[in-house]
Amino acid sequence: MIEALLQALINGVIAGTILAVPALGFTAIFAVLNYPNFAIGALATVGAYAGWAGNTALGLPMVAALALAFAATAVAGLAVQWVAVKPLESAGALMMAIASLAAGLVLENALRFTFGNDLRGYDLPLLRDWRFGEFRVGPQQVQNFALALAAMALLWAFLRYSRTGRAMRAVADNRDLALLRGVDPVRVAAVTVAVGAGLAGMGGMLIGLDTSVDPLVGNRLILSIFAAAVLGGLGSIPGAVAGAIAIGVAEELAVLAFNPAYRLVVGFVVILAVLTLRPAGLFGARAS
Amino acid sequence: MIITTRRTALIAGASLLAAPGLVRAQEGPIRLGTLTPLTGAGGPYGPVMANGVRAVVNEVNAAGGVRGRQVQLVSEDDQTNPEAGVRAARKLIDVDRVATIMGTWASAVTTAVAPLCWESRTFLATVSGADSITALPHNGWLIRTQPNTTLQGRKFGEYVVELGARKAVFMAPQTPFTQSQVTNMKPPIEAAGGSIDLLIYDATKPSLRTEVDQVLRARPDIIVLGGYTPDTTVLLRDIFRAGFRGKLLAYAYSVNQQMISSLPNDVTEGIHTLAPSPAEGTSAFDRVKRIAGTDNPDPYTCQIYDQINLVLMAMAVGNDATGQGIRDNIRKVSQGGGDRVDNAVDGLRAIAAGRKVDYDGASGPCDFTDAGDITDCKFRYEQVRGGRQVLIRIA
Repeated sequence: MIEALLQALINGVIAGTILAVPALGFTAIFAVLNYPNFAIGALATVGAYAGWAGNTALGLPMVAALALAFAATAVAGLAVQWVAVKPLESAGALMMAIASLAAGLVLENALRFTFGNDLRGYDLPLLRDWRFGEFRVGPQQVQNFALALAAMALLWAFLRYSRTGRAMRAVADNRDLALLRGVDPVRVAAVTVAVGAGLAGMGGMLIGLDTSVDPLVGNRLILSIFAAAVLGGLGSIPGAVAGAIAIGVAEELAVLAFNPAYRLVVGFVVILAVLTLRPAGLFGARAS
Repeated sequence: MIITTRRTALIAGASLLAAPGLVRAQEGPIRLGTLTPLTGAGGPYGPVMANGVRAVVNEVNAAGGVRGRQVQLVSEDDQTNPEAGVRAARKLIDVDRVATIMGTWASAVTTAVAPLCWESRTFLATVSGADSITALPHNGWLIRTQPNTTLQGRKFGEYVVELGARKAVFMAPQTPFTQSQVTNMKPPIEAAGGSIDLLIYDATKPSLRTEVDQVLRARPDIIVLGGYTPDTTVLLRDIFRAGFRGKLLAYAYSVNQQMISSLPNDVTEGIHTLAPSPAEGTSAFDRVKRIAGTDNPDPYTCQIYDQINLVLMAMAVGNDATGQGIRDNIRKVSQGGGDRVDNAVDGLRAIAAGRKVDYDGASGPCDFTDAGDITDCKFRYEQVRGGRQVLIRIA
């Protein structure tokens, strides 16, 4: 039983780290633009398809395909923002959230229209797991884990050291004060959406690498992403990472405790518990 | 005189309003609906199925329609999702006023749509397999061309034994057929001294590693995969990664050529598949090959081809183009002897000439029990070898 528990823990940490990438994108957009962008699931799907096309049609190696997934999704995210969400800015966060949800549906169906429902696989060999006694870890899992960590490190460096990154954090901390200091809100919003959507695209591709690509890749993640962001505290960057890892582990451990068919309950229970007991989430101060 | 005229007009108007829907439905074109999964897990099958029906309808319309009336087809998407299926069925029933809905694929969708059909006197023809479907109180408003899970489960159980396996695990998402499939696999396996366990997983999970670990801890010598294509793809990758060397058995609708092409050969090599077999070599099957533009049409396209042919002939034989007409007459054209026909155009011609017809289809003989199940079906045993499905036998 201890082995099963530890194995589920390993699987959960890896799954959670990959989930953290799109959760970071979601929470970054929330922090700066103050609305939950529910197109994040469809954007993850865009990234999965972009990476797949780069890998199979253009023969790109993984890191280059990941960069392409980031770029393509950044563009798609900006399109969603400018076409669907921005015109409704004055109507409030709820309307913007609904607009993003609708834009996500459009994106998902555009992909379905273009690529069909067929499952797509990356041009990669599938390797057997490494075994360490009773435990096992997959080479692909480790690679995805490393790529997810690298993406998070890059984001951290960007937010910490670049002028734009600092401007983003300033707007997230205190919008009015940041504007008084001469931060350009339009530019900051655009960069945030591009980076947030790009991260979602990378997350979508990382999940696609481990599974396969179809128009519902991102849709299947949206609840977990949202639960991770809420748990960590909406708008909190370290919170999104911690929340995602906690959700990943909880989902895997739940398999041992309950019938796996009830996995979805985990996400909902976490959202319910956080909103009831600590609405600000683990790391957030904004929601309270 | 004026009073009489007014009274006549009133009576005429009132009787027009009071005329049963049936009379009005008997004028103008006949409307029929397909409700197939154009998207979702059934997405690879639904579009081909809808096109198959359209081809038959076009042929019949070109040959003069059903007793002189043209047939209009309305195709909707159930998204392999019960909630979307109900919405689409409501539209077909309330807005398009179709006489029949054909082709519901996933058992969960059929289970949700069936009550709407029998309550609105719309005939339902499905390709879903769950036992529970024909056990619904449908009162004759439903038939299915797919063998039920009692039969399929028994065949799977017998095949597990034939493959020499004794310790089996059935891994499947929660569907209306999961439980009855395992229940019916059990007797042949237990009779051979073996055992079978069930693990239900969440089909939307991107990784099933922990579930696979749990199954492998029981050290099975065969894993039977009971899901649809997207989740079975995830499952197969994780089973491969875990280093499982035992046997794998799956439904052919999930481990299909499209899935095999999307996975490395190492992962799919040796998987056994089982499926209700279309009636290969029959003239009806050849017609479906031509319509679908492939030498290997899937079982569901064959089945829906049979459904539309039966529906059109049932309407003609009863001279009643409503759901009621189909319900009351479908067994008069599907069984009981008469001119053997394999398509509606020939059947309609024979019916117009006053002859009895007995339809033999592309999916099989298409004879139905009172509950709506087919009475006979062959199965197709295949194995994946070198990235291709190789036929072992049809029996």
